[in-house]
Amino acid sequence: MNWMKTSFVYISLIALVLLSFSCKKDKEEETPEFNKSELLTNVANNIITPAFSEFEADLNALETSFLLFQSTPNQSNLDLVRADWKAAYMQWQTVKIFDFGPMRDNGFKGSTGTYPTDSNQVNSNIANGGYSLGSVDNVDAIGFSALDYLFYRSNALSDFTTSSSYMQYALEVIQKIKTEFTVVNTQWASYKSSFISSTGTESTSAFSLLVNEFNRDYELAKNAKLGIPLGKQSLDIQLPEYIEARHSGISLELLKESMLALRMVYLGDNTSSGQGFYDYLIHLERSSLAESINTRFGSIIVKIGTFNNSLESEMSSNVSGLNELYSLIEGQVVNIKTDMTSAFGVLITYQDSDGD
Amino acid sequence: MFLGTLRFISKGWIEQLYITPKYYFGYLGFEWVKPFEGDLIYLPFLLLLISSLFIILGLFYRVSAFTFFLCFTYVELLDKSNYLNHYYFVSLMALIMVFLPANRNFSIDIKIWPKIKAITTKQWTINLIKFQLAMVYIFAGIAKLNSDWLFQAQPLKIWLQAHHNIPVFGSQLQEEWLAYIFSWTGCIYDLFIVFFLLSNRFRPFAYFFVIFFHLVTWYLFPIGVFPWVMIFSTLIFFSISFHERILDFLSHTNWRSNANFKKHPSRKKRSFVVSILSVYMAVQLLIPFRHFLYPGDLFWNEEGFRFSWRVMLMHKEGHATFYMVDPKTGRESEINNGDFLTQTQEDQMATQPDMILQYAQILKNFYDGKTLHYGNHKFLIENPEIRAKIYVSLNGRPSQLFVDKKHDLTKLNYDLYHRTWIEPFKK
Repeated sequence: MNWMKTSFVYISLIALVLLSFSCKKDKEEETPEFNKSELLTNVANNIITPAFSEFEADLNALETSFLLFQSTPNQSNLDLVRADWKAAYMQWQTVKIFDFGPMRDNGFKGSTGTYPTDSNQVNSNIANGGYSLGSVDNVDAIGFSALDYLFYRSNALSDFTTSSSYMQYALEVIQKIKTEFTVVNTQWASYKSSFISSTGTESTSAFSLLVNEFNRDYELAKNAKLGIPLGKQSLDIQLPEYIEARHSGISLELLKESMLALRMVYLGDNTSSGQGFYDYLIHLERSSLAESINTRFGSIIVKIGTFNNSLESEMSSNVSGLNELYSLIEGQVVNIKTDMTSAFGVLITYQDSDGD
Repeated sequence: MFLGTLRFISKGWIEQLYITPKYYFGYLGFEWVKPFEGDLIYLPFLLLLISSLFIILGLFYRVSAFTFFLCFTYVELLDKSNYLNHYYFVSLMALIMVFLPANRNFSIDIKIWPKIKAITTKQWTINLIKFQLAMVYIFAGIAKLNSDWLFQAQPLKIWLQAHHNIPVFGSQLQEEWLAYIFSWTGCIYDLFIVFFLLSNRFRPFAYFFVIFFHLVTWYLFPIGVFPWVMIFSTLIFFSISFHERILDFLSHTNWRSNANFKKHPSRKKRSFVVSILSVYMAVQLLIPFRHFLYPGDLFWNEEGFRFSWRVMLMHKEGHATFYMVDPKTGRESEINNGDFLTQTQEDQMATQPDMILQYAQILKNFYDGKTLHYGNHKFLIENPEIRAKIYVSLNGRPSQLFVDKKHDLTKLNYDLYHRTWIEPFKK
C-alpha cells in the first residue's frame, strides 16, 4: 500500500497548493486582466444607451414631421417625413441587435423590423378600418417596412392627400413604434444595472445574451437582407418581393448600416475606444482571430460601398458582385459563431450539458 | 432521482426536448423508439416520478425499479442530441437495481411481505455497484490522459476563464496555471479516487475529496444533478458498520429484529449469477476501449465516443450549412436548419458525424417528391442530393473544415464503419 500512500500525499499537496494559491493575491501580471463587466458597462453606457436615446429622438422627429405633413400635405413635407423615416430606420440597425431584456419582453424587434410588408393586408386595413395593429394578423402590416410601402409607393402623395384613412394608418404605425419604444427605453434604464452585473456563462447571463443576439442579428442580416432575395434558399431563383425596403430602394444602405453597427459592438467602440469582443479575444491570445473578424467586417463594408444602385436593380445587372458580397458575409459566420463564441466559453444553447 | 425528474419537468424540458422537435435522432439499432404523441409523452415522466418515489419508500420495489429503468432508458433512447454520460450512468444503475434486493429492510414491502426482511445482502450486490462507480471514475481518468487535457489544459482553460467574474477566486480563474492544476488534479482524482475509497485507511479523506471535487464542478459547470448523484453513490464504499451507525442514528426502532438469514443459494444458481455478471462487467470494460478500432482522432471523428465516460472532456463548436441540390437542374438551396431542428439538436448535430448523416436523411425525405414553387418557377424534386459545408472548432483551436461540400451525404451509409468522409484533423 506504499504507492497509495505516496499518491495520496501528492494529491493532498496539489490540493494544498491549489487552495493556498487561490487565497493569495498574485503580483506577476503579464497580460492586463480582462473583465467582462467592463465590457458590459461599455456596451451598455457607450453603445446601447446612446443608441436608444437617439432612436427615441428619431422617432419623435418622425412623428413631428408626419404631423406637419398631415396638416400640410405637400411634396416637400413628404420628403421631410421620408428623410426622418430613413434616419430612424438607419438607427434601428443598431438598436435591433439588442434583442434581450426589455426589447425581448415587449416583442419589439418583431413588431418593428419584420419585412417584407404585406401590402394587401395594409390596403385592406386602410379600406375597411376597424383594424387592431397589435393583432397577429397585422404583424406584416406594421413597422418600418409598412411605412416604406406607404411613403414610397407610386401615387403616395396623392393617396395621402385624398384619403384621410391612409393618412391615419401611417400615423398610427409611427405612433405604435414610438409608444412601444418609449416603454422599452424606460425599462432599459432600470434593467441596465442588472445587465452590467450579469457576467456569468449560463445562457441567461447578459454576456451570453449579448453574444447570442450579436450572432443572431448577423445571421439574420446575412439571410433576410441579402441571401433570401438573392435566391440562396430558393434554388437560385431570385425573390425580389422579399427585399427589405423595396419601395424606397435603400436596402443596401440598411445592410451597410447593419454591418457598421455590428462592427461597432464587436470593437466596443462608439466614440471612445471601449472594450468589446475584439478586446476580449486579444486578451485570450486569439489576436489573429480578433484581427480577421475586424478585417472581414472592413471588406464587407467596402464591398457594399461598390454598389451604386438599389439591391433590386443590382440583382438584375450584377449577380456576381452580389454573390461575392454574400460569400464575404457568409464566411464571417464561422469566425463569430464558432471560433469567437467557443473562445469565450459561451454556449449557444438553452440546456444543461456535461460538456461532451 | 425523484428530485432529478422533478427538476427536469419543472424546467419545461419535456416540452422543449420531446414535444417541440419535429425530428428525432435515434440511436443506431434503436431508431424504432419514438416519442408518444402530444401530451402522452408526459406519461413516462409521471411513471418515473411514481416509481422513483416507490423505490425510496421500498414499495413494490422490483416492479418500481424495473419501471424506472424502462421509462428512463426509453426517454434517453428517443434522441441522442440529449445524450449525457450521467443519464447513461443512471440507466445502468437502474438496471443493476432491478436485480438488487434493496427492499429487504426499511421498506414498505417488508410490511406487506414480512418474510423477505433481511439485514444482510450478498457481497456481489454491493461490489457490483462499486464496480460500476469504479468504471465511471477510472475511465473518466483514462480519457483525460490526452495531450489537450494535460499539456494544453484544454478545454478547462476556456471554461474557467469564462468564470472570471465570480467573487473572491474569480480573477485567479483567468490564470493559465490554475487551468493546469485543475486538469491534472481532475485526472489524478478520477484515476485513483476509487482505490482510496477502497482502502479502509484513506476512505474518510478520500470521501472528503469526493465532496470537495464534486462541489467545485457543481459550482463551476452546468452539469445538473450529476455531482449529487456521485456524492451519494460513493457512500457505498463505506463499510457496513458505517451505514449501520447512520441507520441507528436515523431510526430508533430495533430494525434488526425478525430478519431472516438466507441460506446459501444453490451452486447452479450461483454460477448462473456469476456468468451473467462476468458478461456485464466484460462489456463495461471493453466498450470504452472500442475507439481503438478506429483510425484518426477520437475527439474529431467521435467514433466510439459515447458510453465511455468521457465527461467534460472537450469543447466542440460547429457551424453547419446544408444544401439541397436538385440533380436535374444543378440548382441548390441553402437549408435553414432552424426549420427542421431545435437549437440543441442543431448544436449537437453540427459536430457529430452520425447525426450529420441522420439529418441528411431527414432532409432528403422531406424534399424527395416535393414540388417547389418560386415565383413562376416550378421544380419537382426527385432524389435530391444533400451536401454540407461544416466547420468545427475543437478545444479552442481555430475552426477547420469538418465536412466538405463535395460529398453527397445521402449516398453515405449510417453504420459503425470508419467514416472516411470526415476531413482529417490537423493539430
